[in-house]
Amino acid sequence: MKLKVYRYHEGMKEPRYDTFKLKSDPSITVLGALFQFQQEFDDSIAFHYSCRGAVCGTCAMLINKVPRLACRTQVASLIQGELKIPLSEFPAIEETVKWNPEEEILVEPLPNFPVIRDLIVDTTSFFNYYKFVEPVFKPADKTPEKERLMDPSAIPELELYTNCILCGACFGSCPIDGKNPDYWGPAALAKLYRFHIDPREKKGTDRLELANIPEGWWACEFYGNCRRVCPKGVPPLIAIAKAREQLNDINEKKEEEP
Amino acid sequence: MGGVNVIVTKSLNHDDAKEKSGSIPQATIHSHEVIIIGGGLTGLRAAIQIADAGLNGAIISKVHPLRSHSVAAQGGMNASLGNVPGEDGKNDSWEMHAYDTVKGSDYLADQDAVELMCREATSTVIELEHMGTVWSRLENGKIAQRPFGGAGFPRTCYAADRTGHNALNTLYEQLFDRDIPVYEEFFVTSLVQDRGRCNGCTAIDIKTGNVHGFVSKAVLMATGGFGRIFSRSTNALINTGDGHALALNACVPLKDMEFVQFHPTTLYGTNILMSEGARGEGGILLNSNGERFMEHYAPNSLDLAPRDVVARSIETEIREGRGFDGGYVNLDLTHLGADRIMERLPGIRQIAMDFAGVDPIDDPVPVQPGQHYSMGGIDVDINGATILLGLYAAGECACISVHGANRLGGNSLLETVVYGRLVADKIIEDNPIHLEQDIEPIKLAIIDIEDKIGDIMDRKDNGNFFRVKNAITDIMFNKFGIFRDSDGMDEGLVEIKNLQEQFSKLSPINKEKPFNQSLIQFLEVEGMLKLAEIIALSAIERKESRGSHTRIDHPERDDVNFLKHTVSILNGEEVDITYKPVILGMFEPKERVY
Ligand SMILES: Cc1cc2nc3c(=O)[nH]c(=O)nc-3n(C[C@H](O)[C@H](O)[C@H](O)COP(=O)(O)OP(=O)(O)OC[C@H]3O[C@@H](n4cnc5c(N)ncnc54)[C@H](O)[C@@H]3O)c2cc1C
Ligand code: SF4
Ligand code: FES
Repeated sequence: MKLKVYRYHEGMKEPRYDTFKLKSDPSITVLGALFQFQQEFDDSIAFHYSCRGAVCGTCAMLINKVPRLACRTQVASLIQGELKIPLSEFPAIEETVKWNPEEEILVEPLPNFPVIRDLIVDTTSFFNYYKFVEPVFKPADKTPEKERLMDPSAIPELELYTNCILCGACFGSCPIDGKNPDYWGPAALAKLYRFHIDPREKKGTDRLELANIPEGWWACEFYGNCRRVCPKGVPPLIAIAKAREQLNDINEKKEEEP
Repeated sequence: MGGVNVIVTKSLNHDDAKEKSGSIPQATIHSHEVIIIGGGLTGLRAAIQIADAGLNGAIISKVHPLRSHSVAAQGGMNASLGNVPGEDGKNDSWEMHAYDTVKGSDYLADQDAVELMCREATSTVIELEHMGTVWSRLENGKIAQRPFGGAGFPRTCYAADRTGHNALNTLYEQLFDRDIPVYEEFFVTSLVQDRGRCNGCTAIDIKTGNVHGFVSKAVLMATGGFGRIFSRSTNALINTGDGHALALNACVPLKDMEFVQFHPTTLYGTNILMSEGARGEGGILLNSNGERFMEHYAPNSLDLAPRDVVARSIETEIREGRGFDGGYVNLDLTHLGADRIMERLPGIRQIAMDFAGVDPIDDPVPVQPGQHYSMGGIDVDINGATILLGLYAAGECACISVHGANRLGGNSLLETVVYGRLVADKIIEDNPIHLEQDIEPIKLAIIDIEDKIGDIMDRKDNGNFFRVKNAITDIMFNKFGIFRDSDGMDEGLVEIKNLQEQFSKLSPINKEKPFNQSLIQFLEVEGMLKLAEIIALSAIERKESRGSHTRIDHPERDDVNFLKHTVSILNGEEVDITYKPVILGMFEPKERVY
């Protein structure tokens, strides 16, 4: 088993790939493999990590051409081909380097983000889109003394979106973000929708209107990669479809009332 | 504070600093009234309070705040909301919460701090709700509560099994709204002192490798726990106790460092947490004979006895040959049914499937005890103040002593938010008495850190320092784990000393500046080695068993000699251990029975 890792730092003309032979341990994760690489092969490699338990969203990278959390991805399952996901074409899916999936694991930085060094990417624009959606709770009423009551049946749908860990995997696999850097992308829109459907929020269409622009709800072409790669099962494309439907309804109503 | 008064101030020669700093024109110095080190729940809650008071505060964090360890908390946050009645229809109260906490702590908690936390609990959970946290709800729309170990009522408010995630995101959103500056991926390297006060810190900008200075009137440490000193740990990999080491180097004492919580149920292999919520929902522990062994150890509370009790029971089963090969027991959830598991424990299920290939709906989950929480920490008074003027601490890195010798599940998230806010209030109150910032000591401190890094990088020995890192974590788990005895610990201490010695000659191989994560880990390990020694000495000196500190050679709790806090401080290279009294109050120490 080998790890084939993308290496780049400022000043290099072209990125290079380093290959490292793993000590065989069937239960090792790709993150574990990267630590092996760092400790025994080259300690200058740079990659992000924190929780190692698939909850903090730090370690998303392109593994065998699919954006995944390195800490959650088992080396053995990759080699056995169990983790294949059919994805629509996106820029980084092209084979730019030779690699033998039967004995090598290809590890590259998350696509659609500028690479800073090795596997570390610049998330500034990703968090800018997060900023654009004004991700702050805006309550409908004055702050009550006790908790606001909430119908438990409202929670499952809300949870679909609050689960997002802002790992950026969806953004990295989005064909639209790949060609249109102004598109806010799946994660930001899912976040926006989370606030829109929160029953405690100020009702109305403010949240929907916020992204009622070509770079917002309307840029998506429903390729669905976001949903397929999301480690938390967040369905940004359902949020986008519902938001559009609601906006269309509003427009129709406006036309009916002259 | 208890007569301890050992503030060591570097004698500063400002001309010297000016001359030296002339040689580093690129050094950047930032100025804020309050610097908060750490972007977990504690740091974020404090930052919000400080901004709302109109002070200029900033956060420094070695990772993006949302990647802080707090995001991983699963089971919930305690508060006596009384939304779910207890047995006999009785209602919960903050006094009952305080009682359970003090009893759980094996009477080592300071009762004034416990009282304050429990009184503030309900308003704290409700405050998060008001900020937008999505809590799980009861049929009547109120915040749901579940039973947790050692608690007399279903008191733990939860958001499925993603409580930390939901709460941290909420606070981050609020932070964002206030435009509070965050220095992200900055690794703090030293606390700076001037005229007997803490007036800032230095930090490496990991992206560039440059050392920056931060001048402030007050510094709040919110750096979280030190779990990664132990090989089997539920903690994020970044929980290396840096804050504790920074405090020590500033001659600020640490308290009760021997009290390390081992969570009974961590996933066999990776030690990722299987939340106590799993037993709260009805999960049971089974040994290799298929017996529900908790019946023998805690006949009343069974699987929901406090963590120290359950962890010891599992370890005993394993040691006596009733565990499975490799050293684990089973956590059985299968009888709960698919619906309940998917509704209440979806994250747990996913972790078990991803990391152990087991679906808890169909099969029991292999679990073993692992390090989970640091009860001890930076010694602070009830206001979160240390003996060093201008330096405060809160959250897991601090020991305000609400957990004593054993923390109850759900009390730590509570502590982070309650004391994040209250300590910030104290900082705001103290603001006028703190001196205006002076930049010269910061410049000198930057030079010191640059010299230190230069020295490390110049070392000739190219041995692999990661081996030292791995070795120290093994020693700590094996010699200072769930069961301790003097022979094992003495051996362990010698090994720690040897590793310190070896380490002082090593150096990262990578000598570049930008993103030198090897250097960052190196600096983390340096601190870990010192903390390991302190944990060791504190544990060796406490010749009794209390809470998580279980000594085979001293199996009884000894209130006559040890109803007191251990205080450890660095005196040159040496560690001095002293003691100070526990603050008692509403509850007299009794034997714990569960
Ligand atoms: C898996 C797990 C589950 C848990 N579940 C629960 C639960 O259900 N209920 C409960 O009550 N408790 C729970 N706990 C405990 C609880 O999560 C923690 O005690 C709490 O989150 C600690 O928060 P904190 O703000 O003090 O620190 P953290 O969240 O750990 O944040 C520390 C911050 O300090 C920063 N930092 C550290 N060192 C440096 C440095 N040198 N320079 C710059 N920045 C630095 C980090 O970047 C980070 O932002 C759980 C713990 C674990 C391990
Ligand atoms: S929606 Fe999913 S893939 Fe996208 S950032 Fe959130 S968790 Fe990651
Ligand atoms: S390290 Fe946190 S998601 Fe992978």
